[in-house]
Amino acid sequence: MRPREPFKWMAVGTIWFWLVAFALLPNLLVFVASFLQRGSDEFVAFAFTLGNYQRLLDPLYLGLLLDSFWLAAITTILCLLLGYPFAYLLTRMTPRWRPLLLLLVIIPFWTSSLVRTYAMVIVLKANGLLNQILLGLGLIDEPLELLYTEPAVILGMLYALLPFMILPLYATLEKLDHRLIEAARDLGAGQFTIFRRIIVPLTLPGIIAGSILTFLPGLGMFYVADLLGGAKALLVGNLIRDQFLSARDWPFGAAVSVMLTVLMGVLLAAYYLSSRRASRGVMP
Amino acid sequence: MLLNLRASAICEDYAMLRTLLVSLLLLGASIAGAAEPQTLVVYNWAEYLPKKVLQQFTRETGIKVQYSTYDSNEAMYTKVKTVKGEGYDLLVPSTYYVDRMRREGLLQPLDKSRLSNFGNLNPRLLNQPYDPDNQYSIPYLWGTTGIAYNEAKVASGKLTGWADLWDPAYKNKLLLLNDMREVFSMGLKVTGYSINTTDENQIRAAYEKLAEIMPNVRVFDAESPKTKFLSQEVMAGMLWNGEAYQASRENPKIRYVYPREGAMQWMDSLVISAGAKNLDGAYRFIDFVLRPEIAKQICEEVGYSSPNLAAIKLLPEKVRNNPTVYPSDADLKNVEFQTDVGAALPVYDQYWQRLKAGR
Repeated sequence: MRPREPFKWMAVGTIWFWLVAFALLPNLLVFVASFLQRGSDEFVAFAFTLGNYQRLLDPLYLGLLLDSFWLAAITTILCLLLGYPFAYLLTRMTPRWRPLLLLLVIIPFWTSSLVRTYAMVIVLKANGLLNQILLGLGLIDEPLELLYTEPAVILGMLYALLPFMILPLYATLEKLDHRLIEAARDLGAGQFTIFRRIIVPLTLPGIIAGSILTFLPGLGMFYVADLLGGAKALLVGNLIRDQFLSARDWPFGAAVSVMLTVLMGVLLAAYYLSSRRASRGVMP
Repeated sequence: MLLNLRASAICEDYAMLRTLLVSLLLLGASIAGAAEPQTLVVYNWAEYLPKKVLQQFTRETGIKVQYSTYDSNEAMYTKVKTVKGEGYDLLVPSTYYVDRMRREGLLQPLDKSRLSNFGNLNPRLLNQPYDPDNQYSIPYLWGTTGIAYNEAKVASGKLTGWADLWDPAYKNKLLLLNDMREVFSMGLKVTGYSINTTDENQIRAAYEKLAEIMPNVRVFDAESPKTKFLSQEVMAGMLWNGEAYQASRENPKIRYVYPREGAMQWMDSLVISAGAKNLDGAYRFIDFVLRPEIAKQICEEVGYSSPNLAAIKLLPEKVRNNPTVYPSDADLKNVEFQTDVGAALPVYDQYWQRLKAGR
């Protein structure tokens, strides 16, 4: 027993230290700051106020929040539409190909998504790769305006987040019991019915996990909209950054991030509840 | 008995942990101690100092420069203020941030007897209200924000003032700097107010005017705006004169004009952070940059105007007479220096958000 004690202490101690120093304390600071006032010479003035949260009710910020949700939601839906067949095909591949294809899904993670977004700029810009190919093939006479448009932003988000959708879907699809599908077919179910009543419910945990994993980061990825959308729109992420960096209103920035954290917490709680229900539903 | 054993085990762990921590600390201290004298931490604007200059400084002095960049005064200020200047030696704030930072004790007063090349500076740019007697700051470069356009797409002479950018002919073809103060300065110039106003009614009027130009805006950028002109993503827009000069060296069709309503003028200065560790290195760096040949090299590469008279004399005629780099007095008619707007900053910010959010 004894030789393991120091190790246990170190391991548990490190984890606790990490969580307290890098998760609990910073969040606590943000939470406290959100109830303080903006300082003129210092970043915060120590006077209690609810004004920061009151300000969030301004239609300006509600609209901004809706825009951010909308972008994250579109991205999630597109990721699901693309990722589902992709993950399904992946499970149907022979075991020889599967690891290689999975590796190809994971490889982009080796590069920072910011760098990959800059790479997208090089592909999409007026004298970029795509336009040069199209011009070279004689398909267009004038370079297309691809960069700094809404589709460019969605494409960038899709590119950055698709693997987060594919991997959990793959995990559930791989475990799918094909005897159930055969049984359904024997009982006379059509393709669509099998998909809707057997495959989708069985892979629901994967669908929800993938959606959460794309939606939540999608809410925060403002740099994609900045670089590919031309910084014309304002998202929640920009708002928080600007409050800390340029407007020097830390308390308001803190209030926005507390609100975002709470919203994400609600979504995660919903996920937890629905996945529990889903797994109960599958039980005989 | 068991309890005792456990307690002693914990004690031993503590002892072990302590030795480990102490040795780590010692190691850290020795590394810091060894590295301290020969590194200098410089925090400067992006694309504002040629690499060659840094390399020459290191060659001459043996001091390694740890160089990082920012794209707005606000970002630099926030970082420096959070750590009370610790970890930075040299900074390059604009005039109104020199003022703010010196008042907040973030800068060190300078001993000008250690700067043998101080006399090279243009006296007209010294001893300004933002820093009387230049106690804290040494002018580095100055410049303007004006209009740039691509002659291949826009006939020359069509764009002479900020207001011309509102022409629907430029729909989805303009670049605006992704900088709240710069964009509002343009709006205020067009509506006829001072770019440093703190009056909410005037700021709102500028916002309403700016909302009308939004359909023309293709991209907001302050990181590397010239590349959007060079890749022909935009045909005209706001630009800093140095970026315009750099762009015109790659594509001579990129032209820079001083708007008739007046350009925005600014000046950036070298300052030593209050928490500077390498004071000697900082002084040597400032004096190095003030050397005529070095200041000339910087001016030639980045295309902003040098406050260094001795350096200007060394410049080739075509740079010295290039109005983009060295504007005439007529070009500088109606220009205004940006100053700190203090408590009006959140008002600007709110209208900036409305502008971007489109509501």
